[in-house]
Amino acid sequence: MLEIKNLTKSYGDVVALDRFSLDLKKGEVLGLLGPNGAGKTTLISILAGTVRDFTGTVTFEGRSLFADRSMKNRLGVVPQDMAFYDDLNAMDNLLFWGGLYDVPRADLKRRAAELLEVVELSDRAKEPVKNFSGGMKRRLNTAIGLLHKPDLLLLDEPTVGIDVQAKVSILDIIRSVGAAGTAVIFTTHQLAEVEGTCSRIAIMDHGRILAQGTLDALIRIVGEKDIVEFTGEFAAAAFSEALQDLAGDGLELLSVADGLASLAVADTGRIPKVMDRLFQRKLAVTDMKIKTPSLETVFLKLTGRSLRD
Amino acid sequence: MRRFFLVLANDIRRHLRSPWTLLIFIAIPLFMTALIGIIFAPRSEGNELPSIPVLVVDNDKGLGSKLLVGAFDADQLKKMFQVTLTDQADGDKRMAKGKASAMVVIPKGFTLDLLEAKPVTLLVVKNPAEQFLPDVVEEFMKTIAVMLSGAVQAFAEEVKGLRAMLNLKLDSFPWERLAPEFGKAQKKVVAAAKFLDPLLIRLKTEETRAAGARPPVTAYSIFAVILPGMAIMFLLFIVQTVMRDLLSDREDGKLRRMLTTPLRPLELIGARIAGGWIMGLLVLAVMVAVGTLVFRVAWGPFGYFLLLAAVAAFWTAAFFALFHALVRSRNQAGALGAPIILAFSLFGGSMMNPEVMPKAFKAVGIVTPNRWFIDGAALVREGRFPVLSLVVLFASGLVLLALAVPALRRRASV
Repeated sequence: MLEIKNLTKSYGDVVALDRFSLDLKKGEVLGLLGPNGAGKTTLISILAGTVRDFTGTVTFEGRSLFADRSMKNRLGVVPQDMAFYDDLNAMDNLLFWGGLYDVPRADLKRRAAELLEVVELSDRAKEPVKNFSGGMKRRLNTAIGLLHKPDLLLLDEPTVGIDVQAKVSILDIIRSVGAAGTAVIFTTHQLAEVEGTCSRIAIMDHGRILAQGTLDALIRIVGEKDIVEFTGEFAAAAFSEALQDLAGDGLELLSVADGLASLAVADTGRIPKVMDRLFQRKLAVTDMKIKTPSLETVFLKLTGRSLRD
Repeated sequence: MRRFFLVLANDIRRHLRSPWTLLIFIAIPLFMTALIGIIFAPRSEGNELPSIPVLVVDNDKGLGSKLLVGAFDADQLKKMFQVTLTDQADGDKRMAKGKASAMVVIPKGFTLDLLEAKPVTLLVVKNPAEQFLPDVVEEFMKTIAVMLSGAVQAFAEEVKGLRAMLNLKLDSFPWERLAPEFGKAQKKVVAAAKFLDPLLIRLKTEETRAAGARPPVTAYSIFAVILPGMAIMFLLFIVQTVMRDLLSDREDGKLRRMLTTPLRPLELIGARIAGGWIMGLLVLAVMVAVGTLVFRVAWGPFGYFLLLAAVAAFWTAAFFALFHALVRSRNQAGALGAPIILAFSLFGGSMMNPEVMPKAFKAVGIVTPNRWFIDGAALVREGRFPVLSLVVLFASGLVLLALAVPALRRRASV
């Protein structure tokens, strides 16, 4: 359905997108993860048609996404900004923004009413939006992008700065939109959001996709090992030396610093032996945590930094 | 075009739903017009001066001083002056309390000195707290002094005889000698009458409607002079406020969202400029309506004024389209917009009558819309078609528009 090939965009010397390529099928929900400056918003902006002067191709069902203005009727965009008129009410905002697409007026009114139900704002439809809470505004922002039933929906961090209830509501909408056959790309910083919402996840950094696939496929990148974290009062060198002869054979020393160390272990049954060794060497361990492989560990392994960096 | 009208209707609806800014910008010029009009307009429609209180201290009490006091009592002057005869002490006291505009002191021996053709001095004491009325008394007394001096010199021979007789007692008064003196005086009067009646020079007053002349000033016509200047100044403020959407939509992401829809940048820009124009025209219409109903302003032919208002609103919308294409942010627009509008208003004649402006101000004023609108409104008031104002405003508006549209299109490409 959507095919992006070798998309490159630079701002001066800074390369925001570097030969970025991606395919997206009908009904697929792609979660785009990446630290700040990874190129997520640039990608969304190019697809939305608000950023130009790039190289590469973007086709939608075989036609350039930018071939003519009618293609914009197939595209829905939910920007990170609360982009609507605060002094209008929710219904009038929907009618105005929906009116910019080629939707018949009668259909538009019906669709607006339906969407207000979906985003749970029908009882506040006639109230000026400036009186809404942050969560309500986010829901309205999302609804505006869905009015014309787009075939491709782009959401740029649609859950930023809202409460859990509003977040759940928006993620439900994204899931149902995907289930209805719309291809969806949404960017976020929240790993938990993509884990439960997306059929495919792509991790990007420095303008490129580092890895993509289902959650299980991505986790396999770091293997099946559990991560064991030790904290206490020990020196890094003494810790490394104590476990030197235990390394290999399903045990890997991932990182070690004074007072903090982490190991990858294929079999948690080996942990007592590790504790024994540390006790013999009189290394004081005050806490130990076992973490199962997750998207976060994948992200850390691929980008070398936390998602919030 | 459907999207053009959708954006236009949405903009107008938004501004009308939150009308406080508009109402304030409409109310301020009307209030200022009322205030200025009330302060500077004449108090009555006949333009009559108020009766001037004058104190007269007659230290002479002779024939001459009685003639002088009597002059205040002539038909027309009776309305103008309210004369009170008093003595020096009471007069000084009243003047100290500001009870009169002026005090005229006639010196002792005034009549005799006058008859002997000796120089005499009349003292006029003016009330410093009043601006014009004491000057009127002073000017009146100068006129009387000239008239009396002229009369004494013209009848010098008769006056001399009269002076000699004034010292005689009644029983020894030579009545028979009066006849020749009166006879001579009569001859002079009859001779003078040939010249004085009818007067060779007569004064006729009429109101002119010649080119460049202004109708007589009344309270209501002062509103008609002030209101166009105020209207154009606040038109600038309103259109600037309305067209600030060009910046706010860009800053808060609405412009980017609009550009993801099939809306063309040119449709958006056109709608914004048209919105500024329509809102400007609407506000002018309200001001004109209030000016007509409340201030009884006669604007002149309605069609002419409507055309002038439409062209002025167009110029303003085009100017602020360019202005908002050039400034970087809402804050910058706010900081620069108001001084520009005030400068336009100062040099263009919204703040002071262009006729009393320094030459340099007038020269700068020709680049302001205020000047052309005010001039145009004055012509329309006289029933004339303001062709020059219309041509200048429309042509320069087109130039501004031609510069603004490409600049805004560049800014729209985020």
